Amino acid sequence: MTDQELIEGILRRDRKAFQYLVNNYQKQVIKTACYFVGNMEDAEDLSQEIFLDIIHSMDSFKKSSSLSTWIYRITVNKSLNMVKRHKRRGMMLRIESLFKTPDGRETGMTPEPHVSPADFEHKEKCELLQAAIGRLPENQRIAFVLNKFDDQTYKQIAEIMKIGLPAVESLIHRAKANMQKHLIIHFSEYQKK
Amino acid sequence: MDCSQFKSDLSAFREGTQPAEMHDLCEQHLSSCRACSRLVSEFDKVDMLIEQVKAAEPNPFAATRILQRLENEVDTPQKRYPVVWVRVLRPAAIAVALLCGILIGSYTAKNDAAPLNQVINTTGNIDFLRSNLFISEFADEDKILVINN
Ligand SMILES: [Zn+2]
Repeated sequence: MTDQELIEGILRRDRKAFQYLVNNYQKQVIKTACYFVGNMEDAEDLSQEIFLDIIHSMDSFKKSSSLSTWIYRITVNKSLNMVKRHKRRGMMLRIESLFKTPDGRETGMTPEPHVSPADFEHKEKCELLQAAIGRLPENQRIAFVLNKFDDQTYKQIAEIMKIGLPAVESLIHRAKANMQKHLIIHFSEYQKK
Repeated sequence: MDCSQFKSDLSAFREGTQPAEMHDLCEQHLSSCRACSRLVSEFDKVDMLIEQVKAAEPNPFAATRILQRLENEVDTPQKRYPVVWVRVLRPAAIAVALLCGILIGSYTAKNDAAPLNQVINTTGNIDFLRSNLFISEFADEDKILVINN
């Protein structure tokens, strides 16, 4: 099915088009949402809203960008809105649930009575990474996450964010510098202990 | 090279984007500085963590759940009423409908013996029916507008 056929199918509310859309884009949508909201459960719940939004706003899709880019844009916007809602409500995002310990077990929110030093260090790194990403200004965070986690090229990020290539380069450069600064401060303090 | 110089060049060092001379200086510093060696290893661990996050896969049933939700809400769209409808128009419509009922009731009571067709043909009653119909038409339009948004 071409993008054009898919778009027409969705506008007709054709179930086969829905199936094709979900099968082809659910992984992209959920994984990207996950990098922003910090855990897979929330990302999966949010993905339902994202697909509803894609279908309901399909008639406003301007073909100036590719369908995939447009879907990325909706995913990033919805994910950032969820993060903002959570922040307003003072809810913690649970990034740890994303990670598994080196031996493959999932790290939980509540500390186990027999937490090994490796598990503890792993959990600490998760929180540190989450905090460092969370402290980035929004545009830097979008560009950094899309590049570092989603493996999007600068050109793709420029299209998703509707900005020029130099702006993307600058955002990612600044994001990396900020991340590094935050991590160096943390690790230096950690070494002093 | 001292620690602060090394730290300021850390990113380029790890990405391998430094000139060869600078890279050698960093390597030299690393071989003699435990603190900076540990720093590099901590950054490597963060990178490993990012790779782990990237490798995480969604639940295999996620697609089924999304499709189920789409079928529930797009084929038989769940009506999402606007606040103005829920708080103002709906109670108003119910009140008007009740009023119609009472008036029709009192009218038919007055014309006890009148046949039903005579009652319905009465201009006043048709107006009541029309006003009731107008409200339900308006309400439907309202719902459709919200869904299209
Ligand atoms: Zn040093």
